[in-house]
Amino acid sequence: MLKSVELLPDKSKDELTRMLKEKWTIRYFDEKVDEFFAKGMIHGTTHLCVGQEPTATGPCSVLRDEDKITSTHRGHGHCIAKGADINLMMAELFGRSTGYCKGKGGSMHIADVEKGNLGANGIVGGGIPLATGAALTSKLKNQGDVILSYFGDGAANEGSFHESLNLASIWGLPVVFICENNQYGMSGSVKEMVNIENIAERASSYGIPGVVVDGNDLIEIMNETHKAVKHAREGGGPVLIEAKTYRWKGHSKSDARKYRTREEEQAWKDKDGIKRFRDLLISEELLTEEEAENLRKQAKQDVEEAVQYAEESPEPGLDTLLEDVYA
Amino acid sequence: MAKEIFMPKLSSTMESGTILQWIKNEGDPVDMGEPVFEVMSDKINIEVEAYEEGFLLKKYYNVDDVVPVNTVVGYIGEKDEEVPDTPPGNTENSESKAEPEPDQNETVADDSSSSVTQIEQGQIRATPAARRVAKEEGADLSDMTGSGPKQRIQQQDVHEFVQNAQKTPKATPLARKWAEEQNADLNTVEGSGPGGKIYTKDLSAAQNDTVSAEPDRIPVKGIRKVVADRMTESAAAVPHVTLYSDVDMTELVRMRSRLQDKIIEQTGAKLSYTEIMMKAAASALERHPYINASLSPDQQEILLHRDVNLGLAVATEQGLVVPVLHHAQHKGLVELVKESKQLAADARNQQLKPQQMQGGTFTISNLGMYAVDGFTPIINQPEAAILGVGQMKETPVGENGSVVLRPMTTFSLSFDHRVVDGAPAAAFLTELKQLLEDPYELLM
Amino acid sequence: MREITYVEALRECMSQEMRENENVFLMGEDIGVYGGAFGVTRGMIEEFGPERVRNTPISEAGITGSAIGSALTGMQPIVELQFSDFITIAMDQLANQAAKLRYMYGGKGNVPMVLRTPAGSGTGAAAQHSQSLEAWVAHIPGLKVVQPSTAYDAKGLLKAAIDDPNPVIFYEHKLLYKTSSDDVPEDPYSIPLGQADIKREGTDVTIVATSVMVHRALEAAEKLAEEGINVEVIDPRSIVPLDEETIVQSVIKTNRVVVVHEAVKRGGYGGEIASMITESEAFDFLDAPVKRLGASPVPVPYNPELEKAMTPQTEDLIQACRETLQRA
Repeated sequence: MLKSVELLPDKSKDELTRMLKEKWTIRYFDEKVDEFFAKGMIHGTTHLCVGQEPTATGPCSVLRDEDKITSTHRGHGHCIAKGADINLMMAELFGRSTGYCKGKGGSMHIADVEKGNLGANGIVGGGIPLATGAALTSKLKNQGDVILSYFGDGAANEGSFHESLNLASIWGLPVVFICENNQYGMSGSVKEMVNIENIAERASSYGIPGVVVDGNDLIEIMNETHKAVKHAREGGGPVLIEAKTYRWKGHSKSDARKYRTREEEQAWKDKDGIKRFRDLLISEELLTEEEAENLRKQAKQDVEEAVQYAEESPEPGLDTLLEDVYA
Repeated sequence: MAKEIFMPKLSSTMESGTILQWIKNEGDPVDMGEPVFEVMSDKINIEVEAYEEGFLLKKYYNVDDVVPVNTVVGYIGEKDEEVPDTPPGNTENSESKAEPEPDQNETVADDSSSSVTQIEQGQIRATPAARRVAKEEGADLSDMTGSGPKQRIQQQDVHEFVQNAQKTPKATPLARKWAEEQNADLNTVEGSGPGGKIYTKDLSAAQNDTVSAEPDRIPVKGIRKVVADRMTESAAAVPHVTLYSDVDMTELVRMRSRLQDKIIEQTGAKLSYTEIMMKAAASALERHPYINASLSPDQQEILLHRDVNLGLAVATEQGLVVPVLHHAQHKGLVELVKESKQLAADARNQQLKPQQMQGGTFTISNLGMYAVDGFTPIINQPEAAILGVGQMKETPVGENGSVVLRPMTTFSLSFDHRVVDGAPAAAFLTELKQLLEDPYELLM
Repeated sequence: MREITYVEALRECMSQEMRENENVFLMGEDIGVYGGAFGVTRGMIEEFGPERVRNTPISEAGITGSAIGSALTGMQPIVELQFSDFITIAMDQLANQAAKLRYMYGGKGNVPMVLRTPAGSGTGAAAQHSQSLEAWVAHIPGLKVVQPSTAYDAKGLLKAAIDDPNPVIFYEHKLLYKTSSDDVPEDPYSIPLGQADIKREGTDVTIVATSVMVHRALEAAEKLAEEGINVEVIDPRSIVPLDEETIVQSVIKTNRVVVVHEAVKRGGYGGEIASMITESEAFDFLDAPVKRLGASPVPVPYNPELEKAMTPQTEDLIQACRETLQRA
């Protein structure tokens, strides 16, 4: 398909342009959320993945519909990449009854179990055992499904990471652990908190493959995830992928980002994965400048419509308070 | 450190005592063991002795005051030592809390009577169940005394209160209050309301009918209160049945006159008919255990007593007292005369000890010295029966087809039908009659 | 009917379920050829194989989290935690994941899992292997909490727990494993969660007792009967959901209640039961304060006499009943 680089998964032109638009959607979605928080139109807290769009879009693009993901507190991108309806996502952030969680979950708990999104998670490292268990289901039921477990560099220091990778390894479970190393666990720099160059090196201690990828290079992410998913699906057991990336925004809504420099931020922004992929598609002549601009505008428009949907949606009735605690 | 003087609890049933006199006055020196004040309760008077030596520092109550048991009535301590102005345990007194030793203070809080059910003004210690029943029955908890810990009012207390209350006439609260103020007896007033409920207008109507001089007012306390409570309780709780039998006293009169000199010689006192009747009753009771019986406090058992402990109803200035003559079945006439004379004298002099008033198994009430032919005595609970004795008088009786005059006396036996039935009670009275008519059998 | 032990009843229930329902499988430490720390799964790996009787590493959080993930995706896992004290290590997964996923996700997704674990003292296992922490999990909405006291209840309640679409914490008791019932049917049966059992009928005072305390309450009741005190013993069987109605009706009948559990009294579930009673219509029928018995607020000591002194014994229950009846 592509002339300048090798692309392992079989992707059509339409598919590639859809992915470009998806990344823009992710970015505009989170930018919009940022704006609403700043204006006090959304309450609670939120964690934005602006700058990390390729690690959401790339791995999810190589999954089948039946495959599943577990996500993190910074999960809007994963959710969109797994096929969520941004209208329902925005409605959830607005706390409306039409939201994914009927207004009860909010930013940190958006899930779409039917679409294979087992949920964002407010506990650092909380989703890793869940992904392991879901992979156990796949194995016990011979489903052939693969689970993609997203977590951050901070979660790699949690006990659940260790216990889950060990379990998945000894049982040969079809799970791909994808560590989005965005350089900071809140304010804690990975350089201070981890004494090895790459978190992926830890894979060797569980006897599983570990791979490092450039989080801004969508093609590389897709290729490595494609291999890992294939490996897992074929019974080879889990793989640990570490994607080096960067969150452009602060940790959450009130973060002065004193722990890092503006120069460092600019250096990462210069490596913007969306621009890079857009330029690639244009240079490969799969897309004109004009078409690209139209895609971008369409993504922005989609987000505006999601906002409108959310704003027009009703608040949940107080009578729903006690619902859904037990099945 | 000043020590409290408490109102003593002199018997298991004593809830309060009346102060008859202060033997010591404030400021008087007191030796250990010296009487400090005199109390009347449960039919006896007792001088309360000091447990400490020092000076009587404080008297909180006056003569005739009724004081709950275990209440502090005064203090003994060093001369000029500071003591509270009001008795500890009263809410208005705060300074005194530090004065008494903590453990004794607790004892007061735990046991003292009326100050505990009423925790503070308007607050009553009662269980939720008691409150519910009181509400359902329209009863006022502040009128009740609790039987639970710290005098907490229990459900059962309310049931009992309501049961007792039902025996008093129905009246509106206002009418009741008015009657109380006017000292009018609601039982004599006819109510015009539904079910005979008495309204204030009924009271004023009744008063207009019977305008009378202001009566003398005698407080119901001490022995009067005890008699009142016991009789009410017995009459209310015990299903009484009374049997009568006329006894020919000819032989008994003869025997008494024959023995009289010897008895006087040995005891210095006269043999009375009562003592012979006691002998006869003791003898018959030994063979009729169901009459010499009582109901256990929980009403689950009938206790058949091995000893015959005879209660003697004695009239005193203060009221009815029933001293007990223990082990009557083993005693001859000489001992019976000695003991019963002593008991009667002690009773009249208010010198009975608590143990002399407890443990009775059967009571004899003799009104034969009055112009009374017969009567229905009320059982002295928890005993199962009581014997009433009327006057002896020449009465024409039929004998072998002709009418002759005989000294006859009516004996009445009231018995508790829960404990004993009519036939066995009748058998007892029959045997007693035979023994009295042929008293020589008593010698066997 | 045949007599089988509490352990046998549990094993029989799990085996029957696994034969019928291939979604049911076991996970836990040493539950394979070893047969589990208390022998509950003995022989099961031989019948069902290592795929369905999964011997795990010592990873309580990992095992519990994996069970939740597998339950969320269609399995019905049964986790065995070797000692209930270790629930502390799995607590994040239970409290923050299992209990909340359904609600957080707006009613999407179920977590039909059972976490079986032995609690209780009396074995000399000391402070870290003897606790009764059921109140911890009972506090968390989204979890159900079961405490069977007999072999019969164990079998029927475990089936209900497995069939339940929610996470159920199933507290077994070490001292009860060897006890037996002679009324355990061979065929599967289910005892609904939230249905208390009146273990003994009485009129004078109600004892609400859980787990091993049910047996001490029954012993106390026998002895008190000799004094003419007629005790009703209620075993809630599950504390979440709690059968409030049975307890309330009993207290309305007897007017007096003693609540007992083996867990430390302070913050124990007995406080919840006591409060529930005083908030209910039974309040107006109470003729004495609600009495609570529980363990002293200390870690479970090793010395057998100290261990006994820490937890309510039959004699303590007898005394408590007498006190509440003012017959002490």
